[in-house]
Amino acid sequence: MADSSGVHQYGNILLGGRGGTNPGQLKIHPGGFLWKKSGGGKVVEVAKGDISSLNWTRVPKGYQLAIRLKAGSNVKFNGFREQDISNLNNFLSSNLGLTPEDRPLAISGRNWGDAELEGNILSFMVGGKQAFEISVADVSQTQLQGKNEVVVEFHVDDTTSANEKDTLMEISFHIPSTNATFVGDDERP
Amino acid sequence: GHGDGRSSVRTSGEMIAYRSVDDIPSSKDLMIQVDQKNEAILLPIYGLLVPFHISTVRTVTSQQDGGHSYIRLIFNVPGAGFSVNDLPSQKFPRSIYVKEISFRSNDVRHSNQVVQLIKTLRRQVAQRESEKAERAT
Repeated sequence: MADSSGVHQYGNILLGGRGGTNPGQLKIHPGGFLWKKSGGGKVVEVAKGDISSLNWTRVPKGYQLAIRLKAGSNVKFNGFREQDISNLNNFLSSNLGLTPEDRPLAISGRNWGDAELEGNILSFMVGGKQAFEISVADVSQTQLQGKNEVVVEFHVDDTTSANEKDTLMEISFHIPSTNATFVGDDERP
Repeated sequence: GHGDGRSSVRTSGEMIAYRSVDDIPSSKDLMIQVDQKNEAILLPIYGLLVPFHISTVRTVTSQQDGGHSYIRLIFNVPGAGFSVNDLPSQKFPRSIYVKEISFRSNDVRHSNQVVQLIKTLRRQVAQRESEKAERAT
C-alpha cells in the first residue's frame, strides 16, 4: 500500500537466498528498496542507482520480485500478490525508471537446459525459462571432474539459515562434449 | 513401437511435471518434498521449491554425519541412465545437465522418509514404464 509520501509498504515479504527465506518488512520508496527482517537483525537496502533490471516471476502462491544489481548480484523478494503488480509497476517505472519484465519459471521438471552466467548469477534455464538461480558469491569452490562435470560447492553458513530444513550443499553439472560453450571455460571462480 | 507420440513420460520432448505454477504443492517449510500425484520431487534451491520429474532421478542416498543427514541425488545424464529412445541429448545436443545435488538436512527422520519416498516412486514409475515398453513390443 502506498502512503501519502509515495512509499509502498509490505508487511510480509520473504527475502530469498541460499539459506532459504526470511520474513520481513519491505518499503519501496522513490529512492529504492529497504527490507528489514522481522524481529530485527538483517537489513537490506537497495539504492535506485544500483539497479540494472527488475523481474517478476510467478511462483507458487504469489510473485517474486528479482532485483538485479549493476554490481552483478541480485536480491529476491517473495510474497507479492497479483494485485500488487500493476500498482507497483506504475510506481517503479515512474520513480525508478525501470519496468519489471516477466521471467517465467520452468516447471517441466527436466534436468537439462542451459546455464547462463551473468555477473555473479548462474541461471539454469529449461526451455528458455528459469529453473533456478545460484549466486557465485555463495560458492566456496568449483572443480572440474573428468572432462564433462563441473562441481559447485557452497559455503557452509549456519548463521543465515532461516526456515529451511534441507540446505543446498553441492550441485554438479554435466556438460556434454557436444556443448562447445563451456568446454575449457575456466573463467568461473 | 514408438512414434505414437505417447510412448513414455520419459520421452524427452514430453516430460512435463507441471503445466501451471498453481499445480505445484506449496509449503511453508522449505524442504525436499515428493509429489506422488505429479510424479515429481521438489528441491529447495535459494528459497524456491524446484521441481524435478522423478524419471530424471537415477539414485538417491542419505548418510548421517554428526547430527546432520546428507541427502545426495544423482540424475540421469547422457551416457548413463537414459535409454537410447529417451536420450534428450539427441534432441538437445547442446544442453547442460544437472547431474548431482546434495543437501544437508537437520532432520534425520525427514531425510530418511523422503529418501524412501523418492526410491519408491522412482521404482513404481520405472516399473510401469518398462511394462508399457514390453507391451508395445
